[in-house]
Amino acid sequence: MTASTPALVVEDLYKRFGSVEVLKGISLTVPEGAVISILGSSGSGKSTFLRCINLLETPDAGAVTMHGETIRMRTDRHGQRVAADHKQVERLRSRLAMVFQSFNLWSHMTVLQNLIEAPVHVLKVPKKQAIERAEALLHKVGMYERKDYYPAHISGGQQQRAAIARALAMEPEVMLFDEPTSALDPELVGEVLKVMHDLAAEGRTMLVVTHEIGFAREVSSEVVFLHQGRIEEQGSPEQALGNPKSERCRQFLSGILK
Amino acid sequence: MNFGIILDNLNLYWQGLLLTVQLTVLSLGLGLGLAIPLSIVANSGNGLARGLVFGYSYFFRGTPLLVQIYLIYFGTGQFEGIRDSILWPALSQAYWCALIAFALNTGAYTTEILRGAIKSTPRGEIEAARAVGMSTAMMYRRIILPSAFRRALPAYGNEMIFMLQGTSLASVITLVDLTGAARIVNSRYYSPYEAFITAGLLYMALTFTIVMLVKWLERHWFAYLRPREG
Repeated sequence: MTASTPALVVEDLYKRFGSVEVLKGISLTVPEGAVISILGSSGSGKSTFLRCINLLETPDAGAVTMHGETIRMRTDRHGQRVAADHKQVERLRSRLAMVFQSFNLWSHMTVLQNLIEAPVHVLKVPKKQAIERAEALLHKVGMYERKDYYPAHISGGQQQRAAIARALAMEPEVMLFDEPTSALDPELVGEVLKVMHDLAAEGRTMLVVTHEIGFAREVSSEVVFLHQGRIEEQGSPEQALGNPKSERCRQFLSGILK
Repeated sequence: MNFGIILDNLNLYWQGLLLTVQLTVLSLGLGLGLAIPLSIVANSGNGLARGLVFGYSYFFRGTPLLVQIYLIYFGTGQFEGIRDSILWPALSQAYWCALIAFALNTGAYTTEILRGAIKSTPRGEIEAARAVGMSTAMMYRRIILPSAFRRALPAYGNEMIFMLQGTSLASVITLVDLTGAARIVNSRYYSPYEAFITAGLLYMALTFTIVMLVKWLERHWFAYLRPREG
């Protein structure tokens, strides 16, 4: 792995659900340390795109390559594309962390148990070490005092900060954020964005599907605008958000900023 | 009430109680051991496997436990193949026949309880488990089953009580469980009231133990469902 190898390369991704073609050939290169915001109206395919990267959805065509390693796919006897090697997918997933719109903390575990679960059982980190690391992460996201609470007993913003800490506990190479603030009350959005701000400042590689234009403008190194399964606009935040070439993107932005 | 009868036969009741507890614990243990893999198959197996599990659970839930006991105790002896097989030493004894019938019966109900509990695992929690790189086996072991067991506990508590009362049917195939003991006392003294009230009270005591066990498990397992404090 050389310094010039991109953290993640997505090539020509296609995905259809039944008769609806959701992704129509999307390619994206994510350099090490990049923060890429993905914008688009609902139905533009932005969440599906993110979920195809870690194979929560199986793309119909295209390739995903992490640090030079391409996820191997094959066609099963029904003509469906499936992962060729489950072990490889599981290994690559453990290096890609995902933060979900609805947090998806494991509800029968405390915050701390949520954080150490995957490091201990997937990465085989010794439990004591996992706990130390988890506690440090909880301090960082301001959740240490709530470490023994169950998800149902804390607010949405706190749950999302815990979920981000859970993602960080895997020491991921790339972090995928799927509309991390969309399910939150407006007054709770700020605390989550602040944590994400800090992560970007640390130089973490992040792919963020979001509706927060302010976040996209201030934090990202690149902005991608999706429309009907294609990339309509792509560039620096200043260019893509300040002076978009695409009419669709301009309409979308004026609709949101109104 | 003639308490003398009860006191004279205390040892008989004690032996009966031990057999009832033994049959209940063993059949619940075997039934649960059977139900865990079957409920996983019922949720994620292929069509044929799911059909077989459904057939099993439908048969044992669709017929009375007493009929099942008769089929296994009297029915299996009818076939020469079975009488010659290595299973015969077990199937020729009432104890094993009762245990097999009970385990298969509670296994069928427990499969259905667990199947529903597994099915209602929040989708997002499963996705989170896949996204961190868990294999399907680990996901079942660490996320789906622990979460399903908690959801299944109230219904399973009921099933444990049903099974305890169900073991009284062992007495119809000659076993001297708690009900069997009461039947002996009744026929010896012709005092049904003393004989069966004693058995009933002992069943209630056993039921109480199960109720307390479930309560204790709920306190420890369901902390995450308790309303938020402060």
